[in-house]
Amino acid sequence: MKLKSLLLVGGALLSGTAASAGGFQVSLAGIKNNGMGGVGTGLALDQASMFYNPGALAMVRERGVQIGANATFARQAFRAENGTEDRTLRNSVVTPFSLFAGFGPAEGKWKAGIAVYTPFGSKLQYAEGWEGRFSLTDIDLKSIFVQPTISYAITENLSVGVGVAVLAYGAVNLQRDVPTTNGQGQNGHVELDGKAENKVGFNAGIYFKPSEKLSVGVSYRSKIDATVKGGDVTFSNLPEAAKPSFQATEFDVTIPLPATASIGIGIMPTEKLTLAIDVNHVQWSKYRALNFKFNNNVGGAGITSSTSKRYYQDALTFRLGGQYALTEAFTVRAGGSYDMSPVKDGYVSPETPDANRIGGTLGVSYKAGEHFSVDVSTQFISIMKRSQTQAELQDNGTTDRVAGTYKTSIVIPGIGFNYTF
Amino acid sequence: MRTFFKNTLPALALLGLVLGGCQPELDAPKADGGSADFSKYLAVGNSLTAGYGDNGLYLEGQQNSYPAILAQQFQKVGGGEFKQPLFAASESNGSGYLKITGFSNGSPSIGLETANTAMTRGVGLDGKTMPLTLYTGTDNQNLGVPGIRVADITTNGYGLNNPLGFNPYFERLLPAGDLRSYVQYVQERVGTVKPTFFTNWLGNNDVLGFASSGGTAAPLTPVEDFTTKYNQMVDVLTANNAKGLVATIPNVTTVPLFTTVPTAAVIAQVNATPIPAALVPTVVAALGLPAGSALPTGTRFGLYIRTSSATAPVREATANDLLLLPARSVINTASATSPFPNGIGLVIPGASAPVAAALAGFANPLPNNLVLDSGETTAVATRTAELNTVIKAAAERKGLAVFDANAFFNTVARTGIVINGVNNTTSFVTGNLFSLDGVHPTPRGYAIVANEMIKAINSKYGSSIPQVDPNAYRGVKLP
Repeated sequence: MKLKSLLLVGGALLSGTAASAGGFQVSLAGIKNNGMGGVGTGLALDQASMFYNPGALAMVRERGVQIGANATFARQAFRAENGTEDRTLRNSVVTPFSLFAGFGPAEGKWKAGIAVYTPFGSKLQYAEGWEGRFSLTDIDLKSIFVQPTISYAITENLSVGVGVAVLAYGAVNLQRDVPTTNGQGQNGHVELDGKAENKVGFNAGIYFKPSEKLSVGVSYRSKIDATVKGGDVTFSNLPEAAKPSFQATEFDVTIPLPATASIGIGIMPTEKLTLAIDVNHVQWSKYRALNFKFNNNVGGAGITSSTSKRYYQDALTFRLGGQYALTEAFTVRAGGSYDMSPVKDGYVSPETPDANRIGGTLGVSYKAGEHFSVDVSTQFISIMKRSQTQAELQDNGTTDRVAGTYKTSIVIPGIGFNYTF
Repeated sequence: MRTFFKNTLPALALLGLVLGGCQPELDAPKADGGSADFSKYLAVGNSLTAGYGDNGLYLEGQQNSYPAILAQQFQKVGGGEFKQPLFAASESNGSGYLKITGFSNGSPSIGLETANTAMTRGVGLDGKTMPLTLYTGTDNQNLGVPGIRVADITTNGYGLNNPLGFNPYFERLLPAGDLRSYVQYVQERVGTVKPTFFTNWLGNNDVLGFASSGGTAAPLTPVEDFTTKYNQMVDVLTANNAKGLVATIPNVTTVPLFTTVPTAAVIAQVNATPIPAALVPTVVAALGLPAGSALPTGTRFGLYIRTSSATAPVREATANDLLLLPARSVINTASATSPFPNGIGLVIPGASAPVAAALAGFANPLPNNLVLDSGETTAVATRTAELNTVIKAAAERKGLAVFDANAFFNTVARTGIVINGVNNTTSFVTGNLFSLDGVHPTPRGYAIVANEMIKAINSKYGSSIPQVDPNAYRGVKLP
């Protein structure tokens, strides 16, 4: 298998996505898993286990390569408090990719693999002239993790695994309007654009399968701080008179990509049917504030930093899914998820217009011969309607964002190709 | 494999169609007139109502006047057309206005816009007032007249080009040679327009004229006179049982004209300035001390002002005196009448009265018209409160909504107002709310005023008129 060239493809395609799990976390690693509400910690489905539970990799029978792609279509409605206009996003499609390759002796006790996936990301482009434009007009967060993984079956029933999760690529682009008006009647604008430093974390898991009908797994993905140093600051449309107040050219920022602990159970009542539940606990409480440091003035003499309160809270996600083998070739899947928002009332910001999410998923696989199979999945995610008032913002000291009501829905079709050997 | 794609591609195409339909929608907030009828709106008031700003009335200001913004929002709940006496595009700069031409050392240089004005008729019969091109429309609904006091509304000839002086903004609205008083003009408009809803924001100039001249010009309007005339106006407006809103008078201490030059800080700076050694022998000689003596302990510079008080016309300033905005270009500039700069004098403990007076800033105090001294400030605050009581009583009597501009601007002066992520304060230039004259709002300020009025109307009449996004309106225009 031309593993090398496939890797290059995966690495070269910039990934990023509209958020599809609480906050700006994304759970879109395996296309099979996507069709089952995102479960996977307690299963040993395929190479994508490297993401969900590295401990399960040793129990995956086939060696193989899996490449997956999703397209996220985010649609949003926003109404400012007291406002009349229904604001929609400028539509954008982002296409997160994933790649998993596993190798090892067919009957051996160990398996190794490499995973490329995008656990965090967000891209939103707000409408021209929307009420929150002085908080945010555009955001594009991207991250690509590369994770070499090794997994070992201690007994026939128990396996463990660990991966070194490398933040191989991270990028942040934030834009907003500056409340100044120039001679042409335009508001000022600022764009922050930077690349994150490479960082290393880990992803580890244990998988236990006491019987043919039951399996359980636990996994833990560590926190990584995405740190941007010396990112570019670009101001535009400023009036001459305001330019001395906006002299910054570089910024530093750290965004925590929080740790995730997961537990999952798989039940196989018959050979054809698999059911699974997962619970993820994401330590969003590490995200206290978004602090920027600048190398010069941003909004007045001597003002060289900004801070915006987040005070996220830890959040749980519940997932339920199943698959049924209709024939030798066809497997169908369905699932659902309920994702609790880490964002407290009165803290919703345009970067992550978050609320509790309900997801429904469908999927199908087609096995074409001995080595090749295709997975297709679709997720429908509804980010529930959420309002905040100016009074709440004032009480919380979060008036740097906009009062109003957000409602977002996301549709994410995905396709994956598997080659096993 | 081929068949797989053949089978799934149509499904994917179908999916694409589904995606188009997944745009979430939020129900439009209800917009309802409640118990009020906004079909015909009439606005009565002074410069604030006319859309005056940057010390002038010009087209952009008129287009962003709070009555224009209100009328636009009223239209969402059944309101009709609203006609304003707009300047022609060729005379869009109206009376001319102040603009920032540049910055030096962080302070704005302010110049005058004089091109394309409506001052086309030469000097008026009083030899000083510049009349404006007459407004010939007969459908005016914005009756705001800059400068008008409640005390003036029954004065015949207030808008007549005559040798005793006149108001050019009122003169512009009237047919040539019209002698009518403002209240008569309003009466005629009420008869013609038949308003179902009105706003009345009169009264500011009854204290502001006094305050903005440092207590030298127009006296504070007596409460009795104000009461009679204000109620007369309200009666005219409600003659056909129209509903409406009245607004109170803000404290002068909440506008940049009176707050930009920080008296306490200026005093502290003057007091802390060391006395130059070269000056010491001169002062010692003036005090009659032996040559070579040191200055008496405690001798220092002080800030001197001229007050309107007859018994003590000049005294050292205290933190309770308000220095007007133009004072900043006078303080510490060279004086024609004293060796010390303007406003600066020496305070010498123990010196005899004549000597102290000679060395203090008696020859070069800040002139009376640049200082609203503590006594005047108190008088203005007291009278403002008294007149606001009259306004609120009139509203109570007629069941009208009240926009308490006094309370609102007090809050804004204390804490600023953040809207959709943008902070607005009462600071000069940088605060976004007040224009370059330091008294009149910017379009942003007027939009915020309109929103506050909408809140008051909604609360009084059970309506649900939507507000505007104030950030869509500009603050001070920077070059």
